[in-house]
Amino acid sequence: MDFQLTEEQELLLASVRELISRSFPAEYFKKCDEEYKYPIEFMNALGENGISMLGVPEDLGGIPADLVTQMLVIEEVGRMGAPCFLMMGAHCVHNMMDFGNKEQLAKTVEALATGVPPYSLAITEPQAGSDNNMLGTSYTRKNGKVYLNGQKTFISGAADYPYMLVLARDPEGKDPKKCFSLWWVDPKTPGIRINRLHKIGWRMVSNCEVFFDNVEIEESALVGKEGNGFGHLMRNFEIERLTIAAYSVGPAECAFEEAAKYSNQRVTFGKTIGSYQLIQNKLTQMAIKIENMKNYVYKVAWQDDNKQSLRLSSALCKLYCSQAAQEVIDDAMQIMGGVGYTEDCRISRLWRDIRVSRIGGGTDEIMTYIAGRQIVKEYANK
Amino acid sequence: MNIVTCFKLVPEEQDIVVNSDRTLNLEKANTKISLYDLNAVEAGTELAAAIPGSKVNALSVGGKRLENTKARKDILSRGPDALYAVIDPSLESALPRETAAALAAAVTKIGGFDVILCGEGSGDLYAQQVGLLLGSLLSVPVVNDVSKLTAGEGTVTVERTLETEVEVLSVPLPAVICVTSDINTPKIPSMKTILAAGKKPVTSWSCADLGITPGAAPVVVQSVLAPEQADRKKVILEGDSDSNVAAFVESLRKTL
Repeated sequence: MDFQLTEEQELLLASVRELISRSFPAEYFKKCDEEYKYPIEFMNALGENGISMLGVPEDLGGIPADLVTQMLVIEEVGRMGAPCFLMMGAHCVHNMMDFGNKEQLAKTVEALATGVPPYSLAITEPQAGSDNNMLGTSYTRKNGKVYLNGQKTFISGAADYPYMLVLARDPEGKDPKKCFSLWWVDPKTPGIRINRLHKIGWRMVSNCEVFFDNVEIEESALVGKEGNGFGHLMRNFEIERLTIAAYSVGPAECAFEEAAKYSNQRVTFGKTIGSYQLIQNKLTQMAIKIENMKNYVYKVAWQDDNKQSLRLSSALCKLYCSQAAQEVIDDAMQIMGGVGYTEDCRISRLWRDIRVSRIGGGTDEIMTYIAGRQIVKEYANK
Repeated sequence: MNIVTCFKLVPEEQDIVVNSDRTLNLEKANTKISLYDLNAVEAGTELAAAIPGSKVNALSVGGKRLENTKARKDILSRGPDALYAVIDPSLESALPRETAAALAAAVTKIGGFDVILCGEGSGDLYAQQVGLLLGSLLSVPVVNDVSKLTAGEGTVTVERTLETEVEVLSVPLPAVICVTSDINTPKIPSMKTILAAGKKPVTSWSCADLGITPGAAPVVVQSVLAPEQADRKKVILEGDSDSNVAAFVESLRKTL
């Protein structure tokens, strides 16, 4: 087993560090967070450097890289204190290569090259999160046009990304497994109303309610095969789980490093707090969790690079990393004390941002449900 | 235009350990490209971009550090089309004279040049002599302290920011130009150029390949020591009254 990074990977990570440390100080992200502003300059810089196109095939203008490398880059962006959760990466393109048409693929690549994720995924509804069968947003046909009606919620990037993929139901459909289709929608289309939600974290990207009131689209806006909307998204969900796990590692490392440095500076009762075993115990447990998170993310990415199934591992990985990262960042705040609780210290932002990893892309409970069911199934005949 | 950009690999400063006798331990120090040379490489790639059909060769001379394949990819990811490295034990701790002699021989073997670009000094010795010596050895015009560089027809126009004026010179080619760190901000290598760097050609030579035999050095390094640590004086003057300012100035004057 080889844990050594390649020279190219080391140089890629050095490039990420240089880009962020040169042009995007902690103050920039603090300001974006305070103002609920999408950090477009940062995202454009990721595009310009080619970071956003990692893993996209060369013939589409991308930069070939395996999933391990893509996860390493997400981790490094997070370790530098930058909002790595904004990086959607190449799987947007892979989705369109798998089931989009040529025009949709071209638009996806064009948008991603600017660093901004091409589309938001409009799936969740007030009454239907992980229970997708309850989705009520519908598509109907009239005079050669398609009309969307319904309401989505918690849609990440709906107010920031250029396009939207909307999962909608055919109200005439009898079989619930075959009545959902994906539609390519411009969020500026008449009849769409977007309402930003106010959150305690992830303030640098919008999460929105999206209302569809007789939104007229063309037949050509169908993404993939009609009735196969869920099927198309299943693979997306597995990569999404791994990506959210990767989102957790870098911020945890960032908080850990700040807390470890602080433990050498802060003096109480004549000694640095790092000399007390209670603090050393915290740092030790944090270090173990970080190593576990890193190894888990790399392994699941490696599995995908080697065409192995991620059905179980991506759920386990997301569940572990989301929880472990929250624990690490919380401990970092504890070590920093009052300083860590202020908004001048970025650990407070990381602490707010990380919480949603246990909710978005499937809650801890849903990850447990997916993984537990799969584990029992695997041992059914043994 | 044939452009040669010279660079040096130096130890990463953060990794250098100062021993108790003030000598430096470089054994665990990673290798990096001397920061000032990144400006020369950037100036070379910008010059090449302005003149279609140009070629940029990166050139370095030194010891084992030049065998570092990651450092080779690093320099090639920053724009040069090819890398030439003169690796020889005799160049391990080469001083400016030997370095310039090896560079001159290498440039000749590469097959000519229009412009050779050097940084203002190396990140370790910072002698600021190599470029000047190189121009002299090659018998071509050499200009240092260049803060702006523009290509012309058979010439380059350079600007030198002096104490009270900006000197503008038209330099006939071929020439050696030493640039300051003000000339540009080196671009951060993109993902694409990093991944392509490993595919670019690298040529390694020894001193014997170049037909040079380093002679007796006219200067011998006796020792390299870290500065002696001095305790802080802890002189604190409260307030900004005229007498305090005067006392502050007097205190500085005594120390200096």
